[in-house]
Amino acid sequence: MNFVPLLLYAAALVAYAWHFGQRSAVVGRTATTLLVAGALAHTFVIGMQTMEIGHVPVAGATSAISTFVWLLALAYLYTEMTTDERAMGVFILPLLVALQAIPAFRPGVEDRAAVLQGPLFGVHVSSLLFAYASFALACVIGITYVLLFKEIKAKHLGFFYARLPSLQVLDRMNQRAIVIGWVFLTLGIVVGAVWAAQARGGYGAGDPRVQAMSLQDPKIFVALVCWSVYSFELFAARAIGWGGRRAAYLSALGFGIVLLNFVPISYFLTRSHNF
Amino acid sequence: MDLLLVGISHRTAPVDLRERVDFSGRGVPDALRALAARGSTREAVIVSTCNRAEIYVACDEAARSRMDLEQFIGEFNGVATGEIAPHVYELDGTEAARHLFRVAAGLDSLVVGEPQILGQVKEAHSAAADAQTVGPVLNRVFHSSFAVGKRVRTETGLGAGAVSVSYAAVALARKIFGALEGHSVLVIGAGEMGKLTALHMKSQGVQHVTIVSRTMAHAARTAEAIGGANAAPWDDLDAALGSSDIVITATGASAPILTKARVEAVMRPRRNRPLFVIDIALPRDVEAAAGEIEQVFLYNIDDLQATVRENLARRASEVSRAEAIVAEEVEKFGAWLRSRGAIPTVVALRQRFEAIRRAELDRLDFKLSALPPDARARVDEITHLIVEKLLLTPTEQLKSVTDADTVGAYSEALTRLFGLDDQEKADGERDRRIEPFARKRPR
Repeated sequence: MNFVPLLLYAAALVAYAWHFGQRSAVVGRTATTLLVAGALAHTFVIGMQTMEIGHVPVAGATSAISTFVWLLALAYLYTEMTTDERAMGVFILPLLVALQAIPAFRPGVEDRAAVLQGPLFGVHVSSLLFAYASFALACVIGITYVLLFKEIKAKHLGFFYARLPSLQVLDRMNQRAIVIGWVFLTLGIVVGAVWAAQARGGYGAGDPRVQAMSLQDPKIFVALVCWSVYSFELFAARAIGWGGRRAAYLSALGFGIVLLNFVPISYFLTRSHNF
Repeated sequence: MDLLLVGISHRTAPVDLRERVDFSGRGVPDALRALAARGSTREAVIVSTCNRAEIYVACDEAARSRMDLEQFIGEFNGVATGEIAPHVYELDGTEAARHLFRVAAGLDSLVVGEPQILGQVKEAHSAAADAQTVGPVLNRVFHSSFAVGKRVRTETGLGAGAVSVSYAAVALARKIFGALEGHSVLVIGAGEMGKLTALHMKSQGVQHVTIVSRTMAHAARTAEAIGGANAAPWDDLDAALGSSDIVITATGASAPILTKARVEAVMRPRRNRPLFVIDIALPRDVEAAAGEIEQVFLYNIDDLQATVRENLARRASEVSRAEAIVAEEVEKFGAWLRSRGAIPTVVALRQRFEAIRRAELDRLDFKLSALPPDARARVDEITHLIVEKLLLTPTEQLKSVTDADTVGAYSEALTRLFGLDDQEKADGERDRRIEPFARKRPR
């Protein structure tokens, strides 16, 4: 079922790339329409799975990726509609397509471990997924900032100069995305810690995974590294003028770590989060 | 009816001749009226800008109108016809349409892709519409030209990119800061160049302009000339740099005023807020190394000129795409124009039918005269309706044919089948001004 949104995202990617090259308004609208269709199909898929298993499919790594892709598509669509700026689509869509390929090629309804329960668990997962979606947007905006910055600095006003919004707008969008992401990342980590403490003493006492939830676990450790990177960026942008290009590089670095944590570590390394 | 264009432009005529052939200065409506009074044309539009003076007409006899238009241009503007003749170009039919489409698209402009010309073409058409000198042919060709202009603007990059130094500077400032409202400009030097650039920035939405000059009195005078600008003493230069977003340097100093160290010192308290420095002075006012500082964007006059050249080159590369759009619309217009080749046949056919109806009514007049007047009116109406109904389909069929061969074949067949030749001879030229397509359809 995850194939339908994947195909629509892939079609939207082609349209966004075409639009970016040719700047045809009709193609641009087609791209947005395809992405909206993909997001709707995805909503339907996630809705069906929710009905089937009785909760939003976020517990397993694969279904969490699918839900993340869905949130990112919605967050991007929101950005596009509020700024009336389609240029970023060509950078976001490859990420959507690549990540959505994982649930599409690894189907199967998730089987939620009995230990994963309570309202705190839901808050933990959904805040983190939302934070990651914000960081993905910040990363893409940061990359476009650097591309435009380099063209203006090099006095070679070409491809990106003609297609991207101004540096100031990109910088502001980047900062906003980082702030929102940081707030949800912080919330997700704190709530996760509280949940783990409760579970360890109560219903999760016998589960080895719950007992493995500590700073020694790569997933948790890397999440905290991530938090440090974004906290530093926020601090540096305000206190020592590390806006602009440095902030853009930091947001790319931060999201690189997020992706590392989200895909390879979730599948292969973690002992605490392999549900 | 034929479409004809006679005119001069920057491509064919020197500027002193263009200045004297100036319809807009003498009044386009007057010119249109004077031209209509000569009777050599059916429809006329005059496109008059500082780079061109062109008359588009629809006429019956192209050769006669052509001669008359050349004379008219000379007479109306008080220039000897012999002086204009070597610079005049004349095009007809689809070639005239192609020329108009290229003009509206900005392809024929001095600066390729400049946007004003489309508005000027629209004005020319509406002036002619007000003077009631446009009809079906010119309406069609001008509306097509508006569509071409719009398509070229939206579908190609022909009009993209700044093509003058001051616009290039403003475009760059927009790419760095977004909207210019709320940003401030500092002009160093009270000379003419600095003043002009500051004025341009102000017209583009910058609110705060500060002038700094070594002589405070000069700065104050320039600030006053700009209107709404402030002057600051030379000693406050660093403070002024700290609070500005865009700096324009245009002094006559022989050594750089803004060294890298000085700009670095200014940037620190700014917390790396971007600074756009435009150095239009010769020799340079800003050390080239200052451009290496993070968040300092340094452009000198040569850099800006280089971007203008790049933009011009990019526009040139879009020309073929624009020409393709022109060709497409010329094709459509040509088809429409050819479909009008059937009009004389349609007119003759209708006249033939009407003549038969009249003749029959006259022949039966003695019988009909016994009827009461309203019954006679009914007979007249019914016979008229029958004729209209019979002609409806053939008229529409002829109207829809767009290739010249088929039009010719149809006309030939109709002429023979209904003996239209004799009819034409009989009627002479009496009713050729009837516009059959404009008629109301029967109910």
